[in-house]
Amino acid sequence: MTNTTGSEWLDRQARWVFLMPTVLIILTFSIFPLLVSAYLSLSRFKFVRGGFELRYIGFRNYEKLLFGSEQYHFLGKFAAMGVWHGLLLGGLLLAFGYWLWRYLRGGGAGVVGLLGRLIFMALALGLVALASVTLAPGGALGSLMVTLFYVIVGCSAQFLAGLGLALLCAQPVVGRTFFRVVFFLPLMVTPVGIAYTFRMLADMTKGPFAPVWAAFGLGDFAWASDAWSARLVVVIGDSWQWIPFIFIVMLAAIENQPRDQVEAAELDGAGPWRVFRDVTWPAIAPVAATVMLIRVIEAFKIIDLPNVLTNGGPGIATESMTLHAFIAWRTLNLGGSAAVSYMLLFVAIILCVSFFNLVVLRYREHGR
Amino acid sequence: MTGAVPPRSWASRLFEPRRLGRQAPATRVLVYAGLLFWTFVVLFPFYWLLVTSLKLPIHVADGPNYLPFVDFTPSPHAWHYIFVEIGRDTFRPYLNSVIIAGASTALAVVVGSMAAYALARIDYRPKLGTIGLFVVALAAVVVAVIAFGVPWQLAAVAGIAVFVFLARALAGRFRRSVGNGDILFWIISQRILPPVVAAIPIYVMFQQLGLLDTHLALILTYMTVNLPIVVWLMYDFFASIPTDLEESAQIDGASRYRIFFDVVLPLAKPGLAATSLLVLVLAWNEYLLALFLSTVDAQTMPLLVSAQNATRGPQWWYMSVLIVIMILPVTAVAVALQKFIARGLLIGAVKG
Amino acid sequence: MRIRLDRLSKSFGAVQVLHELSMTVEPGEFLVLLGPSGCGKTTALRMIAGLETASGGRIFIGERDVTDVLPKYRDVAMVFQSNALYPHKTVAQNIAYPLVLRKTPAAERDRAVREVARQVQLDALLDRYPRQLSGGQRQRVALARAMVRRPAAFLMDEPLSNLDAKLRVHMRSELKHMQHELGVTTVYVTHDQIEAMTLAHRVAILNQGRIQQLGTPREIYNDPENLFVAGFVGSPPMNFLEGAMRNGAFAGPGFGLNTPAAAHAGAAVMGVRPEDCRTVAAGQGRIEAEIYATELTGDHTLVTCRIGEQFAVVKMDKNYEQAIGTPVGIDFDVDHAFFFDAASQGRIRMPTTPAPQSA
Repeated sequence: MTNTTGSEWLDRQARWVFLMPTVLIILTFSIFPLLVSAYLSLSRFKFVRGGFELRYIGFRNYEKLLFGSEQYHFLGKFAAMGVWHGLLLGGLLLAFGYWLWRYLRGGGAGVVGLLGRLIFMALALGLVALASVTLAPGGALGSLMVTLFYVIVGCSAQFLAGLGLALLCAQPVVGRTFFRVVFFLPLMVTPVGIAYTFRMLADMTKGPFAPVWAAFGLGDFAWASDAWSARLVVVIGDSWQWIPFIFIVMLAAIENQPRDQVEAAELDGAGPWRVFRDVTWPAIAPVAATVMLIRVIEAFKIIDLPNVLTNGGPGIATESMTLHAFIAWRTLNLGGSAAVSYMLLFVAIILCVSFFNLVVLRYREHGR
Repeated sequence: MTGAVPPRSWASRLFEPRRLGRQAPATRVLVYAGLLFWTFVVLFPFYWLLVTSLKLPIHVADGPNYLPFVDFTPSPHAWHYIFVEIGRDTFRPYLNSVIIAGASTALAVVVGSMAAYALARIDYRPKLGTIGLFVVALAAVVVAVIAFGVPWQLAAVAGIAVFVFLARALAGRFRRSVGNGDILFWIISQRILPPVVAAIPIYVMFQQLGLLDTHLALILTYMTVNLPIVVWLMYDFFASIPTDLEESAQIDGASRYRIFFDVVLPLAKPGLAATSLLVLVLAWNEYLLALFLSTVDAQTMPLLVSAQNATRGPQWWYMSVLIVIMILPVTAVAVALQKFIARGLLIGAVKG
Repeated sequence: MRIRLDRLSKSFGAVQVLHELSMTVEPGEFLVLLGPSGCGKTTALRMIAGLETASGGRIFIGERDVTDVLPKYRDVAMVFQSNALYPHKTVAQNIAYPLVLRKTPAAERDRAVREVARQVQLDALLDRYPRQLSGGQRQRVALARAMVRRPAAFLMDEPLSNLDAKLRVHMRSELKHMQHELGVTTVYVTHDQIEAMTLAHRVAILNQGRIQQLGTPREIYNDPENLFVAGFVGSPPMNFLEGAMRNGAFAGPGFGLNTPAAAHAGAAVMGVRPEDCRTVAAGQGRIEAEIYATELTGDHTLVTCRIGEQFAVVKMDKNYEQAIGTPVGIDFDVDHAFFFDAASQGRIRMPTTPAPQSA
């Protein structure tokens, strides 16, 4: 028997040896910078002779973003709120109230759950209000709304397309492996490369689709100078890259689904739509929720595509928050850059955690 | 129940995976049309890159030219330029990318898998008070360094000393502890962190350490940003492996380390393959942090691609060559690992 | 080596699964822990192996207190229900793994592996992978892996329950023979009473984290300590008739019989094994009943009889035939009947049936 105390001691320390490297690395390269950044966001950075100077200015940077000179950049330009917006917000408020009431009545409500829901509701109401005033005629989107546009519209489109392709590919088709490998390819391309490639492809006069545009009489339309068409091109480029990711995971989930359940449902007389809704979807929903969470987390950080495709333009129409922060950094407004980053972190964490707690966990529990 | 079988619509076939010989011709046509359409959507940009890489500037400026030899005469000038004329300047970033992406992926996967395994198998109960104390100590160090200009080495040592001293003194006073789920969530939540938040301080940190524009700086940074993904995916994977084998090895006399490398990792191959590929692709293609942390010596391929957007306007033909040669190695890895990917990602996503 | 458990307890959160379990496994003994699922038997075994920590009490292997020792330093070998073979290693590598971990020289290791493989008749399969083997072969590999390093004790967690019925019978005898040959102390967990009876030197019956009875299979079968043991051991299980005991007579709804005088009075349960009963013509037996069902099992017939609202099974000859509903009498030797207190579930000892000497 080998009973050397040295090796036994080492064995007992395994719990720390396994976990500590990760914790220390994250503390050093993630938490420490985060704290430094927090301090940066509360100060003004200035070059002085022989170095630089940081002056503590409190929440002035955030104030500037939310109410001051940077407001149009971050939140957008506000139009007057119409009656319909009021009604929409009122309806949303009522819906939230009902939802909260059901949660409190349902039992199992806790302080943390309640607090989390309240924070989520407050943020959601604020964002919807912001959306309604900036989307109204006369308003303009700031980088916050643009980011949310990329996240919500982009991710939804990617999910639907990815799921649709997975359902197609799950059919008994010849060359499944071929399609699977080909559909996976866009994930391999660097976002910068995709951005440049799409700039070539989307060229209205020299790109491959120029004859098509000409046929539709759009030959001299410049997508890059229109806010919505520019945003659309960014979303299309992003989707081209990320649909494969959703496709590959959803395909695996569909193929993993037990055949006998589908067959039992068919024998019971369920139509195709019911089979999908009652059997296939519940089986793949937990996977769908998780894969969407991963996608949404990454989508909040979009920068390369708008940076290269449109350089954030026209104006600031395609600037995501990450790009906003990056541009602020490039102009040596380090405090402002850190403040934008923190706002992004704040919004992303609340939305992602809410999504995880309210959607992912629920589907997983249902799945069991 | 009536005996009549309702007629089956095309949608019924659409939602039924893998049943041979039961599709109406119309359904078949629709399915193949959909698949081929998407194949076109995916492949056309690649085709355009390839033909553009063979075009002279004049062919590009000329408006759309589709087919080599038909619409224009292909010329290898861009390939010649990239590989021969500036060959050395292509080769160096390429090698940098290989080293940085490879090393950071290997490190992230090994370190992250260890943490994921530990979280899946061992109970942790760190005290809430200790953690709070640590964060306070860290914040104090940050303020001391930035606001009062204390040298960072001194501040770090002082911070650690204060933390250890107070942790000992206050141990047991705050008894509430957190569990594995909280640690896991904390690690994963680091992925939500946008890289810009950390980019500036990391830049300053590496500047202080004299590591700017080195491989090491980028390897460490990429490892850090990709660790959460590894921990997340591998945690779910390890949690789905039955514990019998490990217990058996434990009784047979294997240490935790031995079990991990001898028994667990071989079993986790599909998960490792899928995770490695994803992390490799993310590191290989990363642009923003590379822009912050490298200038010449450690320049990576994405930077070289964007450097072709010169003052004369984008040099599409050079860019196309670079993008094409960037795609090749990762695609080769992806095809090699293809059979593991779906399985690996799926288990990660299903089990919680 | 001797294994001794001293007031061993285990709780998972608020649930206590073992209550101060004490017992001693003698050197070379084959001891079976028998009980229904959830009785704590597997937990007890895993605690001996060191896979679970003890909430209270001590564990000794030989003279050494191993309560807080890591599994690898306890020198025990364990065979799992799932057989826990490493799928990425060949049979030979699987068997050799414990020796590799002990840094045994390669030549010696090869010799030991081949020797053990011969013992369990695996010599021809050494280069295969587990997935290429049948269930029985896999279980033999698992056994060989446990045997190869001559541990202080074997721990087996339902090693046969994943095998089909025929193979299980075969492996049972192989196991017994192997344990006899090696003479290694063995603790074996099962919920299958036949396995327990056939394999064990002694059986410990567990229920709800407590030992109900510890004794040789014969003692357990012939002299159960309480209602649980009596009902758990035996197939088909012992018949129980509820009634009351008063003045040396046991009576229930629809029957009554004289018993050897016992001091007990009050609600009681009488148990009698199916093979100790026989059916006779109505009016001739101790209890009047009618036939509810007859089942031919091959070498005998099981006759289910209805006595008022209660049922009793009688084991009869394979040629027995009677129509359902026929009134019959059930006869048995009162010396073969057991009586239990309905409240405490404990055995009521009769003065004329002295407890056999326990070994």
